[in-house]
Amino acid sequence: MTAVLERDTTFDTRFATEPYEVAWAGEARWFVQHIGGDGTATYVTQVSPDGITWCDLDDQEHVVEPGKLVSWPAAGFGHWLRLRAKVEGSVQVRIHLAVKA
Amino acid sequence: MTTSDVRAALLSADPRLSKFSPLPRILAFDEFDSGTHGWTELLGNYNGRGDLSTVDDHMRDFRPPQLSACNFFDIGTHGALSGTYALKLATRPHKGHTAVAIRRLTMSGRGLVQLETYFAFKSEATLGGGAELDNFGDVQWDGNTHPSEAQFGAFTVATDLCGDGGLRYHTVARYQNTDLDNHFTRRWMAPTVPEPTPREHFEGKVKLEYAADFTAPNPEDWQAFGEPQELCYNEVPTKVNWHYLRWLIDTDKRRNVELQVNDRVMDMRDVPVPPYEERYETLENLLNFYFSVRTHSSVRNFLFLDSVLISVDW
Repeated sequence: MTAVLERDTTFDTRFATEPYEVAWAGEARWFVQHIGGDGTATYVTQVSPDGITWCDLDDQEHVVEPGKLVSWPAAGFGHWLRLRAKVEGSVQVRIHLAVKA
Repeated sequence: MTTSDVRAALLSADPRLSKFSPLPRILAFDEFDSGTHGWTELLGNYNGRGDLSTVDDHMRDFRPPQLSACNFFDIGTHGALSGTYALKLATRPHKGHTAVAIRRLTMSGRGLVQLETYFAFKSEATLGGGAELDNFGDVQWDGNTHPSEAQFGAFTVATDLCGDGGLRYHTVARYQNTDLDNHFTRRWMAPTVPEPTPREHFEGKVKLEYAADFTAPNPEDWQAFGEPQELCYNEVPTKVNWHYLRWLIDTDKRRNVELQVNDRVMDMRDVPVPPYEERYETLENLLNFYFSVRTHSSVRNFLFLDSVLISVDW
């Protein structure tokens, strides 16, 4: 399944995506696309035991520059996934999460 | 033994179907333990270049439905009625925000159409904070009633129907748990006007803001039907009790027939079904169903669906 967690949303400060349940999934991959804005953002995958309290999955930071599409897998997650992001400047983002059983 | 007797025996002997009362032809039987079965996020229309900035503000963020094991902070996995997973619609924690899942079919006839589902509705649990969080709306935590219940706004089941030369209309049933001031109303409602459409926005007739009520934005355009009904929220935000809903409409007469929710059957034949005055193209025989959930607080609201069965008499 593919979920679009942000659809051309503009951010100029740090943000996190809405919680998404993936208890049924064994594989997950993020696709983060900057479709507008001249800023840069740094993304980290987060996991949660309950969809309310979050921690980083790993120490990998993923930098996305203007106009770029960047993708990375998430492995060993629990039942929830989200991204947190630090933003420099302004970014317009489209975020897909592709998950498979 | 008649064909009808055989059919009734087969249905009653099948533990997956015997909890439903389908009309003669089953169009869809969606147990969400095995996937989303075509229930997908609704998005407003966009231009010929895929420019999503042309999507109406109030129709651009209806959120993707999730397959949920009903996981909670206090007890872990709750699970669904028919297996582990349910379909979950989840709002953002933003007052007025609506999540919508839609299923798209077309009609090969006219007549009775019935949607049945087992559903549950919850607000997201609040963790931490001070004693002031034991109060919300009309609720003071007393060991039985919980402020979470007053943080749930409304859920809706509706159709989008079109045919016979572009005549388009919606049938709608909404359970309003609280009003926009977070006071319990616990009543069933339907709009007296058709839903604003992207074409009306394109033509400059309407422009709605983010988190507007897309089904009918003006609260005065909603009319209650039946008697108020208390459902089984069950005290806290992490207990899931499944409710039965059966909704019957008539696409030949273009009207509602009745709505059953647990032990209550409401006659809906006099509930208005206002058609659009103008005709629509590319929608011939449209048969869409949607569920939505709208928060009236800054707390995420969830609608869980265990399963949906859609049946017809044609």
